Amino acid sequence: MQKRRAFAIAALLLSLSLVAAACSKSTTPDTTSSAGASAGGNDLLAKIQQDGVIVISTDPAYPPQSSLNPKTGKYEGFDIDVAEEIGKRLGVTVEWKEPPWDVLTAGHWNDRWDMSVGSMAALPVRAEVMYFTEPYYYVPAVAVVHEDNTTINDVTTDLDGKAIGVCSACTYDLFLQQTLVITGEDIQFVVDNPDIRGYDTDSTALQDLSLGDGDRLDAVITSGTTAQSAIDKGKPLRIVGPIFAEANSVAFDKSSSLDGQSLVAAVDKIVQEMRADGTLSELSLKWFEVDLSEPPV
Amino acid sequence: MPFTLKVAIVWLAIFVVLALMFAFSQFDTAWMKDNWSFILGGIWVTIFIAACSISLATVLALLGALGRISKNPVAYGVSGFYTSFFRGTPLIVQMFLIYLALPQMVQESSQGVRDFFTLEPVEAGIIALGLNYGAYMTEIFRAGIQSVSHGQREAAEALGMTYRQTMKRVVLPQAARVIIPPTGNEFIAMLKDTALVSFLGSSFAMMEIFRRAQLMGKVDFRNMEALILAAGMYWMLTAIFTFFQGKLEARVGKGYVRAGGGTTKAAPGHAARGTAIVTGAGGTQGHGGASGYPMEIDVPEGGDH
Repeated sequence: MQKRRAFAIAALLLSLSLVAAACSKSTTPDTTSSAGASAGGNDLLAKIQQDGVIVISTDPAYPPQSSLNPKTGKYEGFDIDVAEEIGKRLGVTVEWKEPPWDVLTAGHWNDRWDMSVGSMAALPVRAEVMYFTEPYYYVPAVAVVHEDNTTINDVTTDLDGKAIGVCSACTYDLFLQQTLVITGEDIQFVVDNPDIRGYDTDSTALQDLSLGDGDRLDAVITSGTTAQSAIDKGKPLRIVGPIFAEANSVAFDKSSSLDGQSLVAAVDKIVQEMRADGTLSELSLKWFEVDLSEPPV
Repeated sequence: MPFTLKVAIVWLAIFVVLALMFAFSQFDTAWMKDNWSFILGGIWVTIFIAACSISLATVLALLGALGRISKNPVAYGVSGFYTSFFRGTPLIVQMFLIYLALPQMVQESSQGVRDFFTLEPVEAGIIALGLNYGAYMTEIFRAGIQSVSHGQREAAEALGMTYRQTMKRVVLPQAARVIIPPTGNEFIAMLKDTALVSFLGSSFAMMEIFRRAQLMGKVDFRNMEALILAAGMYWMLTAIFTFFQGKLEARVGKGYVRAGGGTTKAAPGHAARGTAIVTGAGGTQGHGGASGYPMEIDVPEGGDH
C-alpha cells in the first residue's frame, strides 16, 4: 500500500518535470534569431530578405494608429497599414510582437524585433539608442478637457498648475517636464507647474478624464488623432487646441547584433517613395480623415 | 435550518447586492456581451502558463526542501540562498530581470548563447513564476516533511532502509497529505499571477486573460467593463480548481479521517505562505483526538467557498 502510493507520487513528480521540460520548448519560438551571421548574409537587411520575414513591434492599445480586431484576430490601424506596406515593398512578410512602450523606447531590443512603426517621435535622446527614418506623419499634440469644463480655453495660460494626465515616457510627458527637444522645432513650454500624472497609455488617461471635470484629472495631453478617436467613441471630451507638433518616424535598434544601417536606408527610401506616390496621404485620409503626411506649414 | 443552507442564503444576498450595484453603475453591458468571448479565449494561455510554472515550482520545491533539511553544507547553503532571494524580491522584478537583464548579461557571448538567453515573454514569465513559487513551496514541502514524526524515520532506519528509501516509501507519502492543501493554494494564487506576464509584452498567439481585457478596454475606452469581465473569469477559474483541490484532499486524507465524521472542513482561512502545518482552527464536527494520533492536525482548505 505504501509502496504503491510512493510509486504514484514519484511517477507524478517525474511527469511534472517532463511537462516542465516540454513547456519550456513548446512556447512560441523566437523567430528573429535563427541562423544569424553564419547563414551567409552579414547584415540585418540581408538576413531579413533571406528569411523572408521582418518582425515589427506594435502597441495595439492605441487606436486609430494600432488596435486588435478581436473578431478577425488581425491588427488594424494607420501604423499597421504603413508597416504592412513597408514589408510589401521590402518583399517580406510581417510578423508582429507587442512590447510595452517603455521597453520599446529604451532601445536594446536584443534582436527580439527588427523595426518599430509605432508613432514614435525621433527625439535626440532616443536617437542615442535608435536609428530613425524620415518622418512618416506629423501629428499635433493637443490638450483635451472634459466637455463640462468651461475654464480651460487657452493652452498658453489655463493649464498652469492643473492635474494633467499623459502617457509615461511619451513626448507629452517630456513636454510637461520641459525636457522635450524636437529637431527643427522650437517648443514653447507654455504649461507651468503642472501636476503630472503618468499613465501606461493615452487611453487610460482619457478614461480617467472622462470620469468628470477635475475628478481625477483636469486635462490630458495626447495626440490629436487619439483624442478625436476617443470623442468618436462617445467619451465626453473636448479638444482645447494644439500645443506642439511632433513628427513620427520608423525606429530601429542601434544595438542589434547584425548591422542595421542598410535596413534603415532601405526603409527610409521606401518612406520617401510612399510619400511621393501618395500612399501615405491615402492611408492618412483613411484613418484620420485628414492628411497628416506633410509637415505642418 | 442546516448551516450550509444559511450560508447559501448569505451568499445569495451578497450576489443580489452586487447585482444591484452593477445595475446602478451603468456599465456598458452591450460591450461586455460583444467582447466576453474574446477575453475568455485567453483562459488556455493562463492555464498553460500556470501548469508549466507549477510543474517547475514543484520540482524546485522538492529539491529545495530536501536541501533545507540536509546535513550537506552545499545543499543547505544553496537552497537557503534560493529561498531567501526568491522570496525576498518581488515577482514582477524577477520577471523583468529574467526578461530584460539576462540578454544584457550575455551580450558579449556568441550568437547561440545570446539566442538561448533571450526569452519570449511567456517563457520568461514561466521561469520567474516557477522560481518564485518554488521558493515559497520549498518551505511548504520542508514543513510537510518535518511534520512526519521522527519516529517514522527512526523505524525505517531500524528496518534497514536507506535515506532514499525512507524518503520515498515512508516520509514523502505521509508528507503529501500535509503538503497538498497549501500547494493547491499556491497553484490557485499562481493562476492569478500569470496576469503579470502581460507587463513584459506579448504576441498574438500568447495573450492571456488580463492582456486581452486590457487591450479591449483601452481600444474601446471601456477599462471598467473589461476588467470586470477579467475578474469574473479568474474567479470562476479559481472556484473550479478549488473544487478539484477539495476532492484531491479528501482522497489523500482518506486514511486519517474517521468514517462518517466531518470532512476536512476547517474554518475558512488561507494557509499562511511558507507553512504547511496549521493547528486546527476548530469548527469541525466530531474530530475526536482521543487516540493521541496526529489526527489533531486539521488541514485548512485552500480558499473555502
